[in-house]
Amino acid sequence: MTARRGARAAPLLALLLCSGCFRLLPSRGGGETRFEPPRRIEPADVALPAGYRIEPVAQGLTFPTSVAFDGEGGVYVTEAGYSYGEVVLEPKLLRVEPDGRTTLVASGRNPPWNGATFADGAFYIGGGHLAHGQILRVTRDGRVSVLVDSLPSLGDHHTNGPVLGPDGWLYWGQGTATNAGVVGPDNYDYGWLQRYPRFHDVPCADVTLAGRNFTTANPLTPEDDRATTGAFVPFGVATTAGQVIRGRPRCGGAVLRVRPTGGEPEVVAWGLRNPFALAFSPDGALYATENQYDVRGSRPVFGAGDLLWRVQPGVWYGWPDFYAGRALNQEWFDPPGGRPRPELLLARHPNAPPRPAALLGVHSASSGIDFSRGPAFGHAGQAFVAQFGDLAPTVGKVVSPVGFKVVRVDVASGVIHDFAVNRGSTNGPASRLGGGGLERPLGLRFDPTGAALYVVDFGVMTTVDGQPRPRPGTGVLWRISRAPGTAPGAAPEDTP
Amino acid sequence: MTGARVRAAVLVCGLLAVAACGSARRGVPLTGHGEPPTAELQLGQRVFARYCHQCHPGGAGGLGPALNNKPLPGWLIKFQVRNGLGAMPAFPSRVLPGEELNAMVRYLKWLRARRP
Repeated sequence: MTARRGARAAPLLALLLCSGCFRLLPSRGGGETRFEPPRRIEPADVALPAGYRIEPVAQGLTFPTSVAFDGEGGVYVTEAGYSYGEVVLEPKLLRVEPDGRTTLVASGRNPPWNGATFADGAFYIGGGHLAHGQILRVTRDGRVSVLVDSLPSLGDHHTNGPVLGPDGWLYWGQGTATNAGVVGPDNYDYGWLQRYPRFHDVPCADVTLAGRNFTTANPLTPEDDRATTGAFVPFGVATTAGQVIRGRPRCGGAVLRVRPTGGEPEVVAWGLRNPFALAFSPDGALYATENQYDVRGSRPVFGAGDLLWRVQPGVWYGWPDFYAGRALNQEWFDPPGGRPRPELLLARHPNAPPRPAALLGVHSASSGIDFSRGPAFGHAGQAFVAQFGDLAPTVGKVVSPVGFKVVRVDVASGVIHDFAVNRGSTNGPASRLGGGGLERPLGLRFDPTGAALYVVDFGVMTTVDGQPRPRPGTGVLWRISRAPGTAPGAAPEDTP
Repeated sequence: MTGARVRAAVLVCGLLAVAACGSARRGVPLTGHGEPPTAELQLGQRVFARYCHQCHPGGAGGLGPALNNKPLPGWLIKFQVRNGLGAMPAFPSRVLPGEELNAMVRYLKWLRARRP
């Protein structure tokens, strides 16, 4: 670089340092705002590509998580019955009537109910956190039976909603107990370590540890003492190099499957931190959204955006030692504040982790996924992903709100486009922007005709004082479809 | 630093800050823009999706600061990508070859011009 160029660069670098230095800027997460009820609903505050419209189908829902269709025109939603922030209610399956009112179909006692699908005349629901995770079968008249039990769902992440595969099996994602493989004080803050102090991550196959341990404050004792904890073991238990942790089919961080008639679950793929939602593409391939590492706990990991995977059977996808095919023990993932680099926990890795289909925003909480299947909606073969939005600063700092929208993903190229966003000069939830648009899109699914995309909006959740504070009764079910008179499948023209 | 230099630095920073205060949002729902029109821009779009989008979603702010509303010249963008800055890691040529970096910078400039 010449001296003249260096002189020209100085003020520009000064600007970068002034406006872009991560360490100097305060956290500005989407939930770091005050909310004054009631929630406003105003479809005009949501921007869509030309030719599409959005409308509310049902309002006043409490922690809705998913939408399902019975194939006879019926629309159903699950209400979780649990939210981060340790709010515990009754999980429910509700039928959405044509006028937007809801009718109770079934309820349970082990929230959250994270998702539902309809197959062979019944609903299949995944959930559980207060007790072990379950896949439930619910008939149209509300009779509930347990299809799969004893899933490791007592920690940070739970048993997620199933989908029906083209092979007739039910597939679902099972989240991990922890952020990055080690139980720590952050799990006490989440509320479960005190309930289940022996709970920890469970691998799907035998793993050999590198013997790394982490010494932290011990929140389980009143004394000012410390505890040392290794990977895949309970809090306060140290590990040694070469120690083998036995795998189990009822494992965490995995895609599992079972026949709708029941039986033992099978492991499809593993090494996925929290595979929140699954969908089969029109060509029959299985895709999963994965909520990635946070900057918290004994082993914080920085800069890990959520991922979209094309799931191959038998493959290990990298958790807890890799992100998007990259090992964590490098500069990219160093947590801020001088905290230690995340060294690798496993002495050997089952396979070289593959590369993802797409990399989504860090802390975007990319969750619900489905594929457009034809010209009735357009963008056939592309994925639509609901982004719940960041929970900063709990999960780590962001300098601008991330998520709070629906994106379209070209799974062939990995290119991501905004699809449904709130209007305004900045991104964020409606409660922060002051409008009546989207809050926290969590689930989505196309209706059986493929003409309408239903988006489940969890509702308002603020994170003032660093704690999630969800607001019951603020959830919405939205429907996005082509506006009358627009050509199906047409793409907007470039406007140079 | 002399008083005159301080005043000049403040003036430059002020002008740049004013130039950078527009909205960084560029998504299709807000701008109506379509796909990048050339093969090089489309390559840049794919490179951006792989290496940049997760911290700067769509060129707007996220984990990292917004890019779309900063009038940075191409050579300075490349300098920052190659060398990193603060929390942003460096992307050496073995990770991001020169041809891909050039395409990404051209795409970023194209995206920057798609104002709402």
